[in-house]
Amino acid sequence: MYGWIWRHLPGNAWVRALLSIVLVLAVVYVLFQYVFPWAEPLLPFNDVTVDGQ
Amino acid sequence: MGGLRLVVRTFSELCLTLGTLIVLFVVYVLYWTGVQADSASAGQIDTLQRAWTSTPAGAPPAPGKPSTLPAYAPGEGIAVMYVPRLGRDWKWPVLEGTGADVLKKGLGHYAATGRLGATGNFAVAGHRRTHGDPFKDFPRLRAGDAVVLTDGTTWFTYRIVRAPYRTVPTDVGVVAPLPTSFGRNAAGFDGPGRYLTLTTCEPEWGSSHRLIAWAHLDATRPVADGRPQALGS
Repeated sequence: MYGWIWRHLPGNAWVRALLSIVLVLAVVYVLFQYVFPWAEPLLPFNDVTVDGQ
Repeated sequence: MGGLRLVVRTFSELCLTLGTLIVLFVVYVLYWTGVQADSASAGQIDTLQRAWTSTPAGAPPAPGKPSTLPAYAPGEGIAVMYVPRLGRDWKWPVLEGTGADVLKKGLGHYAATGRLGATGNFAVAGHRRTHGDPFKDFPRLRAGDAVVLTDGTTWFTYRIVRAPYRTVPTDVGVVAPLPTSFGRNAAGFDGPGRYLTLTTCEPEWGSSHRLIAWAHLDATRPVADGRPQALGS
């Protein structure tokens, strides 16, 4: 999987390494900005009210 | 053999990816929600204080007839809460509503409950863990502890009446104007009065129960007269 991505990145090893870092940061950003905020309320720590539900 | 090697390698890569994902999620829940809550709550307090200074408060509204005041708007900042027992620097904004988006930014006022300082029950929910851990030390509250709120014109000093009471999430009577727990007078209030209820989750990382703290209004003080004694020096 990661080998496949590495082979398909353009440029020499330095460019590929740089692109890899950018890709990793982009993935982490998407996770923190969109995926985790969506997943977090599914955990029980958010239930702090008495609501009869 | 090449095919097997590919399968094993892909499988181990997936495991590593999943592990990293879990670690990142833990970092998000334990750390990042706190960072965001700190900046959001500080921003809410700033907004409130700026609003309070830009519209100089007149005479504090006469307590006892607040029913003429309009309801709070959803998400609106209502007050700033201080609880010395939870920390010398512990202060959180109280916003209208108890939705997840509100509790991310501060404490949430149950929309159906009373106004701050008014006859009835001003009920507030807050996170015990994650999103800044506002009520992390909730079980340390004891009878007589001060819960101080200000709405920009008045300091309201409430006093906790008993150690936190443990109940189940369906026990909606605990935020009633005269709080009870399934009809039982767990708070020990004799009749209608100016009460405050705090709720959070129990156990710390679970959601099977709730912890409740009740308080009654002990003193009010115009903001112009300075901070109340309960906040000490």
